[in-house]
Amino acid sequence: MSLRSLMDGLEPHFHQGGKYERFYAIYEMVDTIFYTPGKVTVGQSHVRDAVDMKRVMTTVWWCAFFPMVVGMYMVGRNANLAMEALDIAALEGWRGWIIALIAGYDPNSIWDCLIYGAVFYVPIYAVTFVVGGIWEVLFAVKRGHEVNEGFFVTSILFSLTLPATIPLWQVALGISFGVVIGKEIFGGTGKNFLNPALTGRAFLYFAYPAQISGDAVWTAVDGYSGATALGIAAADGLGGVLATGLTWGDAFLGNMQGSVGEVSTLAIFVGGAILLITRVASWRIMGGVLLGMIATSLLFNAIGSSTNPMFALPWHWHLVLGGFAFGMVYMATDPVSAAMTDTGRWAYGALIGVMCVLIRVVNPAFPEGMMLAILFANLFAPLFDWSVVRANVRRRLARV
Amino acid sequence: MSDSPGFNKDSIQNVIVIALVVCLFCAIVVAGSAVALKERRIENKALDKSKNVLIAAGLFEEGVTRVDDINTLFARFEPRVVDLRTKQLLTAAEVEAVEQELEISFADYDQRKAAKDPALSSALSDLEDIASINRREHFSLIYLLRSDAGIDRIVLPVHGYGLWSTLYGFLALEADGNTVSGITFYEHTETAGLGGEVDNPAWKAKWPGKQIYAGSGDVAMRVIKGAVDPSSAEAIHQVDGLSGATLTSKGVENLIAYWLGEEGYGPLLGSLSG
Amino acid sequence: MSNVKEILLNPIFNNNPIGLQILGICSALAVTTQMSVAAVMCIALTVVCAFSNFFISLIRARIPSSIRIIVQMTIIASLVIVVDQILGAVAYDISKQLTVFVGLIITNCIVMGRAEAFAMQNPPGLSFLDGLGNGLGYSAVLMSVAAIREFFGSGSLFGIQVMPLVTEGGWYTPMGLMLLAPSAFFIIGLLIWALRVWKKEQVEAPEYEIGQHTALSHS
Repeated sequence: MSLRSLMDGLEPHFHQGGKYERFYAIYEMVDTIFYTPGKVTVGQSHVRDAVDMKRVMTTVWWCAFFPMVVGMYMVGRNANLAMEALDIAALEGWRGWIIALIAGYDPNSIWDCLIYGAVFYVPIYAVTFVVGGIWEVLFAVKRGHEVNEGFFVTSILFSLTLPATIPLWQVALGISFGVVIGKEIFGGTGKNFLNPALTGRAFLYFAYPAQISGDAVWTAVDGYSGATALGIAAADGLGGVLATGLTWGDAFLGNMQGSVGEVSTLAIFVGGAILLITRVASWRIMGGVLLGMIATSLLFNAIGSSTNPMFALPWHWHLVLGGFAFGMVYMATDPVSAAMTDTGRWAYGALIGVMCVLIRVVNPAFPEGMMLAILFANLFAPLFDWSVVRANVRRRLARV
Repeated sequence: MSDSPGFNKDSIQNVIVIALVVCLFCAIVVAGSAVALKERRIENKALDKSKNVLIAAGLFEEGVTRVDDINTLFARFEPRVVDLRTKQLLTAAEVEAVEQELEISFADYDQRKAAKDPALSSALSDLEDIASINRREHFSLIYLLRSDAGIDRIVLPVHGYGLWSTLYGFLALEADGNTVSGITFYEHTETAGLGGEVDNPAWKAKWPGKQIYAGSGDVAMRVIKGAVDPSSAEAIHQVDGLSGATLTSKGVENLIAYWLGEEGYGPLLGSLSG
Repeated sequence: MSNVKEILLNPIFNNNPIGLQILGICSALAVTTQMSVAAVMCIALTVVCAFSNFFISLIRARIPSSIRIIVQMTIIASLVIVVDQILGAVAYDISKQLTVFVGLIITNCIVMGRAEAFAMQNPPGLSFLDGLGNGLGYSAVLMSVAAIREFFGSGSLFGIQVMPLVTEGGWYTPMGLMLLAPSAFFIIGLLIWALRVWKKEQVEAPEYEIGQHTALSHS
């Protein structure tokens, strides 16, 4: 019996009037993991395209693997270097046990570093996936909608914005908040106006600021404490960053402290290029973010300040520090929470770029501005669209 | 209470009568309660202040809630007026002269209000204003704890700007005018969990025993980023920063630098302990 | 007298001023980080609401409609000032934490709303009960919010440590978000959600229907 006929045999039980009618969402989820849905649009159909939601979401998911793999390697490398410096031979607990089984602690070995990063990152992702997935299925069953592939993206993006050292229970809380408050309350994927992954991270940011504000202990070694480069820049300016030995090239490649997926701007750009070529992500949004950021940071450079070192941070450093690149490529382009009109996308992107630099430079409390900037722009996206549509209507009315 | 025929509640007379009666009645009630309760309120305010002074001096014990106990403890302190322009303690006669001249009473002196009153404070230039307080009051009430041997503790009111708000607190020093015996912040609105930890007992416990001044007489007290290395020579002048709250930590450092510096109580402490 | 019972108890669940009418939210955000502070606020509001209803109802037949709002405000404001004075005298610590929020009871929509909607039409006894009931409805929500915020934000209830904090050698990491005002928004939102799941009649009719899901309408 083939899998298809097995699934087909089961299907009637999940249909209206069937035994397991309530669990249709779960059946549908399993079915579409294995097979492309056999359904076709009936009625007045509009666009014919091979791309469906599942394809779009899976592309983003795969593209997120570039920053993920490089990020894991960098976590491992930084940790191994720190361990060498502190003269620690091995990790304790189950993580140490796994490493002892398949790898070592050599900071020059790609394999060792990758595994080290993986024993920290993989549990984070697993917890995100399982906990978020439970909520997703729960709401799908209760509300009678399908389990959406959007969650694949939400889960991987959420986990990539976290530092490797975050306690796993916080991961669980964060993704719960993101999925429930950020998405399901409004009716599920497509009806949310905030990016659920960022909503979850924002929750953690305000709920447990000590673990996630980028101030200390981001290297996955006990007893070693290091602030993120952006945190150092906020306190001591670019000079302070350079004094730690970090060069722009290092920061671009990702050889620094930071959230797993956010460190390597290069890997993010590789993923971003694929998203642009496949036209999954909007180049207008990315362009808007980049231009907004460059313009605002040039403006601050020109103004200058004797007390605030962040004023002098050049734009190419803004690009590689913190979550800017990751946010621009993966978060801002989320089709649900972003603007949908072309002009609206430019405006929406620009608002993110401007707000990000504004928060980073002027706000004294938060070294990182990307997350808040995107959430802020999410709120404005419908307004941008509305204005664009209105302007369009007016222009055409004038022609009548 | 139904409308009686012939009575027009919207007539001009009725509007005026009702307005007058209601206002009169409410005014009597409000004024009555204010007068009747005034003493209790002032007492409470004074008590609250005494409590904070005691906390800073490390003499307050958790669970002492009886008014009498607090007052007994506080009675050992001698409040003194400092003229921050001359950095001198005022004598009883001088206090009286000032009270008459400015028509204030130091018995219910509100230092925070005074700092905003142009007659009782002076504006600070950017250069002087390390603690970001804009204006400094002319007179400050400090508290001296005396024992047979002389002065035992000196409790100084301090304030300065942190991240979001002005932090108000007391700093208590030992008789030498250099060693910290305690610090407390009784009012601030810093971020809960980060800067808000300034009122965490565990953090405040790091202060006693630290020394404010270096050998040169300059304020050397620092709130450093991260943890203090106990083996460092500077450790005696250093306190761990609040994790994730660089600016609040900096604010605390600045307010100490200001209030214990040349512009604050610095010269006075020299003369008290000298 | 089921009418009395209804007037007193209806505002607690069936017609909750916060849960259903979404009134008086501001103070619910500001004073709910600690249960003891919230409790004092609840008592203050309930007293003001009950007595203002009572007094306004007492003179309702004589209040000219042209100045009725001013008369109501005067009575409410006087009561609030008296309550504020009493708090300063008997519970100084808590009144210091409540700061302006006791004073702001004057502008609390619940008090004004009940005066205008109920006390102006009903006899003093019932108006008093109505004020009391609405005060209790407000209190029920405020205390639930405060309980959640204090429990998760500080690990304590009424100031008594229930979960030992990490900073004091325990195991609980306090959730800083709970101490920030926005958390009260989330909690009130979730409470309203729960209330409407329980009491379906409180759900408003949707403004428009979203079309059926295509995948489910087709097999």
